[in-house]
Amino acid sequence: MKIEKDNLLDKLREARKGGFDYLVKITAVDYLDHLEVIYFLRNMSNKKEENIRVEIKNGDALPSIVEIYKAADFYERELSEMFGIEILGRKINRLLLEKWDGIDAPLRKSFVWGSAYKSD
Amino acid sequence: MMDDKFINAKKEMEQLVVDSLKTYKAPTGAFFTNLKKATKAIANGTVKWSRKNSLWPMQFGLACCAMELMDFGSARIDAERKGYLLFRGTPRQCDVMIVAGWVTKAVAPEIKRLYEQMAKPGYVIAYGECAVSGGPWWESYNIIKGIDQILPVDVYVAGCPPKPENLFEALMKLQEKVGGKVED
Amino acid sequence: MLTKINVGPIHPSTHGVLRLVVTLDGDTIVNVEPHIGFLHRGVEKLAENRMYMQNESYMEKIDYAAPMAYSDLYVAALEEAMGIQTKERAKYVRLILLEFQRIASHLLWLGTFCNDLGQMFTMFMWTMKDRDLILNLLQDVTGSRMFYVNMRLGGVSIDLPPNFEEHAKKLLDYLEKRLKEYEVYLEKNPIFIERTKNVGTLKRNDAIELGVTGPVLRASGVNFDVRRDYSYYVYDKLHFIPQVQTRGDVFARYRVRMLEMRESIKLIRDALKSMPEGDALGMPVKLISPPVKESEVKVRRELPRGEGMIFMVADKQRPYRLSIRAPAFINLSSLRQIAIGERYADLFAILGSLDLVMADVDR
Repeated sequence: MKIEKDNLLDKLREARKGGFDYLVKITAVDYLDHLEVIYFLRNMSNKKEENIRVEIKNGDALPSIVEIYKAADFYERELSEMFGIEILGRKINRLLLEKWDGIDAPLRKSFVWGSAYKSD
Repeated sequence: MMDDKFINAKKEMEQLVVDSLKTYKAPTGAFFTNLKKATKAIANGTVKWSRKNSLWPMQFGLACCAMELMDFGSARIDAERKGYLLFRGTPRQCDVMIVAGWVTKAVAPEIKRLYEQMAKPGYVIAYGECAVSGGPWWESYNIIKGIDQILPVDVYVAGCPPKPENLFEALMKLQEKVGGKVED
Repeated sequence: MLTKINVGPIHPSTHGVLRLVVTLDGDTIVNVEPHIGFLHRGVEKLAENRMYMQNESYMEKIDYAAPMAYSDLYVAALEEAMGIQTKERAKYVRLILLEFQRIASHLLWLGTFCNDLGQMFTMFMWTMKDRDLILNLLQDVTGSRMFYVNMRLGGVSIDLPPNFEEHAKKLLDYLEKRLKEYEVYLEKNPIFIERTKNVGTLKRNDAIELGVTGPVLRASGVNFDVRRDYSYYVYDKLHFIPQVQTRGDVFARYRVRMLEMRESIKLIRDALKSMPEGDALGMPVKLISPPVKESEVKVRRELPRGEGMIFMVADKQRPYRLSIRAPAFINLSSLRQIAIGERYADLFAILGSLDLVMADVDR
């Protein structure tokens, strides 16, 4: 289902109370003028699934959901590093490209594949 | 009765012998220089023979080619029967470094440091496509295209992944490079 | 007085390249911080620049201990996007090959786990020999030892050879005997029992909240398996039962994987009995693939390490976004909570029981 960015934390708390206690993945898709962030949830007792979609513009910031789902820690770090989304309330952000400071947000469409190797 | 010229002749002969002895250069120590050359040749040959026949590899499996290295050292395709024993963890006890797997920019300084810690003379084998030239990931933003941009490589083995029998041939070629012909 | 120890990136006991910074107080662990990314090469970005059927051989190199499972996951996502049905006999053939792949991956885990516990090198030699026999059987079917690329749209690339059934039955009888020998060797060994019982416990509520998958989740008492709950191929016809243990420590994870190997042997025997005759070949590989009917697909499979999922936004000739959920990534993030309070020497037993492959973590 599609929700607005301001209701995100309330909607996730409601889903948690409704039995969706397992977070499967957080991912994002880059359509060129906006980004879409998707949260995949699952209910372990009756095996039902739910996808929650949020649409944000370039330059917006998302709140961190680590208090609601503990599994979101590594997923949020990877998301903020690969897409350049800022996530509020986190201390450490870089996960996979820690030692190499020259690459910024590689999974966006503005980063052309094969552009980094000509300078080698 | 002896004539006078014979006494002089005897004196002249003695004088001639003494004079020729002065200019005669005896070969002092020729036996010993030849002995020195012979032992040096035997010692070099022995050192080369022993280095050639006991190459100890260092395990450096980073990625998929490490699975074939583990097969190379285990029971069915045996590495110990030809003398490449004891895959060690520390570089101080090894001669050959077999680099297997793709090398990223974060790992590269560590590999350089490990190569410098290896006791010289040390050799490097590039195993698999990713160590030879970057492999399938050659356009990536995080990969070094071939290990020969950082280290001096002796033997290249192609394949993705190469079968462990190819590593036998690579090590035999390295043995020929170290010193002389190798019989199967 | 707290001391910090660096378990460096290149280490004989970390499976791949992983760096851990461990903070110790005497002998007990206070904090563990993993630094990853030493094998990152951007597979998700690469998949956006290649056509559909060129991507299959890249997917296999993500998890190199069980490559056929990832290639099957990707081709299943393509089949759902293009609306192609898998042929009936091909479902049985794929199931047999995938279960052999699962046994091979668990045998590799058993060898390296016993190596981590204190150089029980005998187990490594025995299990690698058994794994080599399975790889030779798969080489007879597909033609390659390690990277098979034998899944096609709608089936497989080449059918089983005519004498496959007797070779497989001989190999399965041999494997059952060997599994019994491994259990006798390990479970009557007091060193193994002391190092694995009551070490690294993970309770049921913590396991669901941290998001772990696979044998780690089933060893903590949660009865969840993709092969039964979101069933695919013919697992529901062959009466598959997930194996669950309740204690949650390292010994329980070992026990779950041994029982899974026995379950796989039983599944292969049943599938060989009830396989129908017919045609199992899929479409041949062409650069221009069939037209795409659905633009967003989501597929789940049970990989040997856990539950894998692909979410794909499909364009005309190449994927627009391919998002892979890797099971080892989320299993590693639970290391911190399991290891706090244990002794330093138990850290490698816990790390070995999570069954990590570092190229799966970094992608």
